Amino acid sequence: MNPVQAVLFIGVVLGLGAYLVAVLDRVFAGAPGGLRSGLMWPIRRTAFLLVQRRSETERPDAEAWALAPALLAALAAVGLTAVPFTPSLAVADVSAGIVLFGAAMIIVMVAVFLQGWSPNSIFPLIAAYRFAAMALSFGIPFSLVVLTTAIPAESLSVGAVVASQEGLWNVVRQPLGLPVYLVTGAAVAFWGPFRIPEGTDLAGGTALEASGPTLAVWRIARAGVLVTLSVMGAAIFLGGHLGPVLPGWAWTSVKSVALLTLFVWSGHAFARMRVERFVWFGWVILLPIALVDVFASGIVAL
Amino acid sequence: MSALQTFGIVIFGVGAVVSGWLVFRTDSMVRAAYWLMASFVAVGAILVTLDSQFLGLILILMMAGEMTIMAIFMVMFMMNPAGLNPMVMVHQHRTAIAAGVGSFLLLATVALVADFPADPVPLGADPTAELGFELLGRSMLVFESAGVALLAVMIGAVAVAGKWGRFGDADAGSVEPELEPEEGGS
Repeated sequence: MNPVQAVLFIGVVLGLGAYLVAVLDRVFAGAPGGLRSGLMWPIRRTAFLLVQRRSETERPDAEAWALAPALLAALAAVGLTAVPFTPSLAVADVSAGIVLFGAAMIIVMVAVFLQGWSPNSIFPLIAAYRFAAMALSFGIPFSLVVLTTAIPAESLSVGAVVASQEGLWNVVRQPLGLPVYLVTGAAVAFWGPFRIPEGTDLAGGTALEASGPTLAVWRIARAGVLVTLSVMGAAIFLGGHLGPVLPGWAWTSVKSVALLTLFVWSGHAFARMRVERFVWFGWVILLPIALVDVFASGIVAL
Repeated sequence: MSALQTFGIVIFGVGAVVSGWLVFRTDSMVRAAYWLMASFVAVGAILVTLDSQFLGLILILMMAGEMTIMAIFMVMFMMNPAGLNPMVMVHQHRTAIAAGVGSFLLLATVALVADFPADPVPLGADPTAELGFELLGRSMLVFESAGVALLAVMIGAVAVAGKWGRFGDADAGSVEPELEPEEGGS
């Protein structure tokens, strides 16, 4: 795939996915007007934000503030490049694709920290520190369950991981992997019960001082991270493009949309967690489960 | 080495040096930490350019987390809650300049004088697998002792930072000192 095609392809996938996230979020919230109003809502909201006047704070770190949303969007795009949508259609199915994805998702911590820290405002600052505490708690279990999928494939390439699931998907072979991935994945995108750095108790947290086009990019980028997590989750746990009858791209889409729906739904099904409880949850519950996942997969592979 | 690889190494090399220099030119601890991260990301990119994808990407992955931890620790110890107030990031100018010039001359001499071994990797070699065999083979003792030492440091840091301590629980609050100095006080 040449570079222009690759950029267009990733942009279209992330754009469509982010639109779907906004519509689903609206529908699950039971907003008035039902599906029809939900389909129009992302467009209305983006149009409003694009013409909204930007609010300013006193002595912000302007460069870092401008960088944070762009960085978040770029990380979503980089994570997506490693996934093969069909056996032949991948932007860059590199030999260490899973590590590339892991690195992109860990740097989300930097984007969110900068977004909270740079406006020079107290609630976003607290939110930034909250996310740092969160990220250090989910980072290790998240990386472990993602890397464990490489054990049966004996390769760090996402294409090889998908190919290794011919016959038996990782969701069955590594039963602890997908649940931990879904929980930590929602936390990476600070979504659903882990909307901790953007909680209402912080008046919006990292998004409090953002407005206008910057806020639009921040929201779209966060939805994009959720899309990347869904597509990757479908590839490494649900067999990606493998499946009967339908062509590969259709299976990738169906599985990714299913995971995306689950992510968005979790935001309306569970109450937001406090950050202290999340830190406890990450280190005491998630980390041991992830370690058992690694050791069990290692023993099976031997 | 292809022309594209050379181009990449030059670009990322300049990026690593410039962002490393900016670490000391900026006036905020958070910005300094993230310029340092940018420098490490550029070094990781050089490794990727040299076909060592796994090492390069794992370096970037580790640095992202480490630099955030470092920024938080620096802000904590500096008692500047936001880290936004401008501050001078360098001190001991004369010593620092001498050390900087000295180490540059030393490294430059080594780079020019040393006879580096020409040991080309065979085409089709798998650097990730070789790294694994090295870590769990010949160099196992070195890496395991370093790993255990780091783990001990982490446990120690958590113990020191814990709310229990010699002077009681941290959240119990501290006792204000007496207004009158003690007799023959120390």
